[in-house]
Amino acid sequence: MKPSAETPGPLPAPEADEPAIGLYGVVKLYGRHRALDGIDLEVRRGEKIVICGPSGSGKSTLIRCINALERRDGGRIRVNGIDLTAEEGTVQDIRQEVGMVFQHFNLFPHLTALENCMLAPRLNRGLGKEQAERLAMRHLERVHLADHAGKYPARLSGGQQQRVAIARALCMEPRILLFDEPTSALDPEMVNEVLGVIEELAATGVTMVCVTHEMGFARRVADRCVFMDRGAIVEQGPAQDFFANPRSERLRGFLAQILR
Amino acid sequence: MSALPVDLDLAWRSLPELLAGLRVTVLITVLPLMFGLALAFPICFARMAERRWQSLPAEIFVVFFRGAPLLILLYVVYYGFGQIALLREGPLWLLFGSPFGCVIVALTLNHAAYMTEVLRGSLLAVPSGIVEASEALGISRRHIFIWVKMPLAIRYGLKAYQNEVVSFVKGTAIVSVVTITDLTAVANGIFEQTYDPFTPILCAAALYWAFINLLRIGFELWGRWLARHQREEDSPRTAEAPGRFGLRRLSRLAKAML
Amino acid sequence: MTNLSPAEIAGYLRQLGEGALVTLELFLTSFAAAFVLGVLIGVVTLSRSRIIRAVWRVYASIFMGVPSLLVIFLIYYGGSAMLSAVLGELGAGVDISPFGAGVAAFAAVYAAYIAELVRGAIDNLPKGQFEGARALAIPPLVMWGKVILPQAMRLALPGLVNVWSFMLKETPLVSLAGLQDLVASAKIAAGATKEPFLFFIATALVFIAFSALTLRLATVLEIRLDRGVRRPDARASAGAQA
Repeated sequence: MKPSAETPGPLPAPEADEPAIGLYGVVKLYGRHRALDGIDLEVRRGEKIVICGPSGSGKSTLIRCINALERRDGGRIRVNGIDLTAEEGTVQDIRQEVGMVFQHFNLFPHLTALENCMLAPRLNRGLGKEQAERLAMRHLERVHLADHAGKYPARLSGGQQQRVAIARALCMEPRILLFDEPTSALDPEMVNEVLGVIEELAATGVTMVCVTHEMGFARRVADRCVFMDRGAIVEQGPAQDFFANPRSERLRGFLAQILR
Repeated sequence: MSALPVDLDLAWRSLPELLAGLRVTVLITVLPLMFGLALAFPICFARMAERRWQSLPAEIFVVFFRGAPLLILLYVVYYGFGQIALLREGPLWLLFGSPFGCVIVALTLNHAAYMTEVLRGSLLAVPSGIVEASEALGISRRHIFIWVKMPLAIRYGLKAYQNEVVSFVKGTAIVSVVTITDLTAVANGIFEQTYDPFTPILCAAALYWAFINLLRIGFELWGRWLARHQREEDSPRTAEAPGRFGLRRLSRLAKAML
Repeated sequence: MTNLSPAEIAGYLRQLGEGALVTLELFLTSFAAAFVLGVLIGVVTLSRSRIIRAVWRVYASIFMGVPSLLVIFLIYYGGSAMLSAVLGELGAGVDISPFGAGVAAFAAVYAAYIAELVRGAIDNLPKGQFEGARALAIPPLVMWGKVILPQAMRLALPGLVNVWSFMLKETPLVSLAGLQDLVASAKIAAGATKEPFLFFIATALVFIAFSALTLRLATVLEIRLDRGVRRPDARASAGAQA
């Protein structure tokens, strides 16, 4: 059932109305501290979700549970119709359908931008060199970095590195994209170039879950916003209402601080 | 240091013998370096395993073969295993039946223990974020190790590896006690014949020094080659990039990546 | 497993014990000598004089690039000749013992490593330390003794622990020059009783145990020396919990 590293081919598509991501009662413990305290969340296909909240609220932990970078301690997670278990094969299958962009880029320093993008398709799908190159160049063009394909990460600015990281995730042609504070480590003048690329992606119909402090971006792009505090979802709703009429006290306080 | 009378004539005459000794030294350096490194991988994996029954024996191995002085290890193998008739005449005669075999065994085990720690340290030095990124891309653990972890571990661990290799070369000087005629043994022999301690020992020292510095230069060049991605100008996109990327067998992969 | 009588075992153990004391004596003396010499050389060679720096580079290259065993042999076999050449009549009568050769050799070799550590540590000290001391008109010797070196030692400690372990494992080399140390006694006992495993592995374990013990002490020392030093790591990891 699980595609081996050499046979290309997508998994059977999930049913039309099945949520892209489903978290049901998800719990994560660090010792005695409840980083995630019973999270219930469904993300429809093509939906754009922004998760925000104070530090320590568990937002990073939440999205890292979706692609199993964190192992949950309770509850169920379902991604693209597959139940996320501890089994290595299942985890790998899900990860190949879910792309992730990290706060600190995490590019492979010993590979060029192009090679960074080519690595996963070649290893996971057995693509030939030319095929992989074409694929990688296509996505590097999408993030406007085709001219820098031969450069090593050390020679790229933070904003450029993050865009390469986005292209790298896109090369696996994932149905879902996760962003873990993608602009928090960037100098202010580079934040917009990265957000611009993410906004362009949002328009293509891919499912997105983005943890970020960029509220302007959230207002423009998100279908739904989720506010987390101390491991639980406090409030969520359509972006409009979220910012205009925050219902909970905590969200009001948080927005007041962020949008000062 | 004009106080040291070096007999240049004697030095010149001893050169062939000294070089023969150097050849032996190189041999008892290179073989254990290769075998020890090969052995270090499985032991390192065991050492880094999560299950105690795997990591504990590996830990004990490392503590013993790193913590015990090399001379004692040599004695254990030569006077211990090397004297057990069963081993000498059995299938392991190649290893224990000759002084040379005993030396290789002892040196290999010692180097393997050190390399296990060097390897472990290098692998741990790979930033976890980069490993996570490769996991998030759905790359299998085996592929992550070959294509991401090892190339980076080598870069991080090169200095430590160099230090270990240099120390190792210097450590091989003891094998004369078990009748192997390495460079040190030759120097001693010449001293015993001529009663001149300075010339042979200083010549041998010079040859060791040359060998070690040759190794150092080699490592320096290797390090520079590995770090080329940090100084490299815009490399032409793909066409000229040396083919680093085939899905071929491990040895060729490793050579290409390195 | 063994066909020795308890009395025989006791006898050999006593010999080993005496040998162990000799090894300990050799080790501690050598380390102390190497340390003092190393710190001195380390400080002196930071000078701006090109000659001093050149001499340092040559000395370091030589003594870090040749096997310690050769240095031991050189001093043991050629030591008295060297002494008489340098000291003339005075040196002629002096016999170099294996112990003396060992200490001299280890001191010469390991002083180089320790000097390098000290130089590196001092280099890594914030320049402000020197400037602050000078601004307060602290005399140079006091500055070095009470401000610079203590901090340098803290930085150099891990490296020093490495040198300690490494030198310890090289002490058996002196037995090859005739010193009746632990390893030499073990060899004799092993040969006489035909019990190589027993004596050699026991000896190995003694070295390992001593090393482990001193390593633990070193960790304690490191913790004590780190008092009053801000630990950036602890705070960073505490704040990373988003």
